Amino acid sequence: MSAGPYNYSYIFKYIIIGDMGVGKSCLLHQFTEKKFMSDCPHTIGVEFGTRIIEVAGQKIKLQIWDTAGQERFRAVTRSYYRGAAGALMVYDITRRSTYNHLSSWLTDTRNLTNPSTVIFLIGNKCDLEGQRDVTYEEAKQFADENGLMFVEASAKTGQNVEEAFLETARKIYQSIQDGRLDLNAAESGVQHKPSQPGRNTLSNDQQFNKDNCAC
Amino acid sequence: MRELPEKENVLSKRLNKLLETRVENDHDTLEALKELSTFYCDNSLQARRNLRSQIEKRSLQINENFLSEFREVKESFDSIYNDIADMSKSLEDMTLRLQNAKRQTKHLLEQTSSYENEIAKNEMQQKVATAFLNKFILTHEELVALHGNKQKRDLVITPEIFVVLDKVQRIHNDCKTLMQSGYQTLALDVMEQMTLHQEGALERLYHWTQNHCRNVENLTDLLTQAMCRLQDRPVLFKYVIDEYCISRRAVLVGEFIDALTRGGPSGNPAPIEMRAHDPHVYVTDILVWLNKAIPIENQNLHLLVSLCNKEDKYELLTNAMASICEGICHPLKIRIDKILNASTQSSSLYAITNLIRYYKKSIGKVSEGGLLALTLSELQEKSEQIFLIALQQQVSNCLVRVETPPRDLSPTPAINHLLSVMRDMLSTASMSEGRETDMGKIVQCVLDPLLRAVNEQSSRLPPTDMAVYMLNCMYAMQTCLSLYEFMDDKLERLQAQSDAQLDTLTSEQASSLVANLNLGPIYTILQDHAHAPLSGIPGMEPGNLRNFLSKLDMLVSLPDSMLLQQIHLLSSSKHKKSVQKRAFDVLLAIYKQLYEGVYDANNLYENPASILPRTPSELMKMLS
Repeated sequence: MSAGPYNYSYIFKYIIIGDMGVGKSCLLHQFTEKKFMSDCPHTIGVEFGTRIIEVAGQKIKLQIWDTAGQERFRAVTRSYYRGAAGALMVYDITRRSTYNHLSSWLTDTRNLTNPSTVIFLIGNKCDLEGQRDVTYEEAKQFADENGLMFVEASAKTGQNVEEAFLETARKIYQSIQDGRLDLNAAESGVQHKPSQPGRNTLSNDQQFNKDNCAC
Repeated sequence: MRELPEKENVLSKRLNKLLETRVENDHDTLEALKELSTFYCDNSLQARRNLRSQIEKRSLQINENFLSEFREVKESFDSIYNDIADMSKSLEDMTLRLQNAKRQTKHLLEQTSSYENEIAKNEMQQKVATAFLNKFILTHEELVALHGNKQKRDLVITPEIFVVLDKVQRIHNDCKTLMQSGYQTLALDVMEQMTLHQEGALERLYHWTQNHCRNVENLTDLLTQAMCRLQDRPVLFKYVIDEYCISRRAVLVGEFIDALTRGGPSGNPAPIEMRAHDPHVYVTDILVWLNKAIPIENQNLHLLVSLCNKEDKYELLTNAMASICEGICHPLKIRIDKILNASTQSSSLYAITNLIRYYKKSIGKVSEGGLLALTLSELQEKSEQIFLIALQQQVSNCLVRVETPPRDLSPTPAINHLLSVMRDMLSTASMSEGRETDMGKIVQCVLDPLLRAVNEQSSRLPPTDMAVYMLNCMYAMQTCLSLYEFMDDKLERLQAQSDAQLDTLTSEQASSLVANLNLGPIYTILQDHAHAPLSGIPGMEPGNLRNFLSKLDMLVSLPDSMLLQQIHLLSSSKHKKSVQKRAFDVLLAIYKQLYEGVYDANNLYENPASILPRTPSELMKMLS
């Protein structure tokens, strides 16, 4: 794996999930390029983006997997849950169906990631206030009930996009500081240093456990 | 009585004196006596008596004689006196006249000497004037050299004109000295005249040069000298250069078109358009021709102004070159545009792009800026664009049909083909200029659609096959990209994606191992048991454990036997080893837990060594 020309202390792996058309790729694009992609094609399988951010004075490289929302790619995208330190779960505030599917996304995430994975709920397209179909309050309540972080954002205006990614990183960093996150477990989604040799081994009890559940 | 003696004394004295007198000693007396003897011949009384009278008579006679004689003398003296008086008078007259004459002559002399001075002065002046004329005025021959003969206006320019021009310039400069010495009017007049001469001559030179520069064969010494003179008149100079550019532009276009359509003399070399069917050769030939012709133009142009030393010469040459090259832009653009629009092969388009880039740089060294540089830039940009579009088209044509991955889960032919296309292109790109952006664009054009296609293909496969297929495809891509620089981003992405698939595969393999070894129930019990001794729990009896162990022995003797068959299809042995090792690690972790459980006295196993003879570390050695 290449380190690139930058110095960073950690690599955090993120995954962005949610129904088709909620704006996952646009959120990623807004975050990495600071631009809105107006006619974004459907994602095939997964797309990938990186950006280096700074949390508490530490340079952190975010490796973000943007997954396809289409059902037919579910098998492909499942591979990327494992080893995600942060999961951004996205719904579209103008389409209630995308909100209604959140619980199944959440179940998937909980099953395929480890307990310390930070899950962040994003209600996208908050610039379309007129077409709102899901109120902030009910989503907030859903988030609180499931222990998720929550924000309404807009990939179009960029509102809260940065915050969602950074807040997730802060939470993950906090977990590392508290010792809740085992850096030596590959599926933690965090690597301490770039291109550290021999980082591909797993400590597998937990993983195997989950695999069993998933199978 | 006393007086007497004295009287007597004086008498005596006188007597004595008489007595004592000696006649012979007295000359006068002697003379007188002699005289007397001449006429007193007879000593008679009579005679004696008469002596006196005689003497007196004689004396009278003598005096009378003397008188008469003297009268004569006096008369003659008088006449002499008169004469002398006359002479004196005439002398006086003469003197007077002489003085007059003398006075008159002096004036004349003065006049003469003043004339002489004047003559000297005039001679001097004449010398000065001649010198002046020599120095400040042009001779007839020079004027002819300068302005040509009035009768035959079209007199050719001779090298003398430059000598005369130098002189004119020198005179002009000398006038400044003249001016400082106080001859302002004169100096100004001369200066004006010289300026007129100069202008006239330069004007003539300009016409001549303009007429002669049209033909490069005429690039004689005379012409370069003329250009050197004309550089002081920017407007004229520019007109000449413009004229030159216009004529050369036309010639260059003509030659270009000839080279394209007619070829060399008697068709050798063949016309470039004969090879228009091969875009690469065609474009190469065109650009090579230009790359050869333009430096020649540049050389000629430099020769033309070789003697000039203007400060803005460089800029001027640049503009002139740009102007000369303007004409060929249009035919060039039309032809290359046609090729770009007709040719669909992305590899040949890329070759053309690189050709244009190379020759743009090469030609740019000779002719900077201007329409040609602009045209080449446009063509370069266009060919880059068309190349990328063609490449995208080629990629999407290859991937238009979603192929089913082959049974051996190796990358499909389309993917292999595109990877080899990309590899070929990257090999070329890695040697081209601006390779980083080029390679980035090429990879983006090929790799992103490829990844999408692989995802699409994989989505139709069962999880294990999917992971293996994706790993194989990604491995092929990594192998291809890792040969080149600037691929870090892409490689990082592929690596991360491979890692995710390796994780999936590992967990599949681990699950399969656990299932094959009947370890599932045992593991669940190990995780859940809290209080009761393990040996008492159904499924954890020593017999059951031995059953597991016999299967484990099989695995140890044949480690590959329990690998998923798909694992063998992984093209990277590294991937294969990694999956195997990590799956065995899971197994070892469970075995370790079981081992500790069996050897724990609380679990009431009898003779644990007979049930689990191998320690976890022994097993690890066996499996690795």
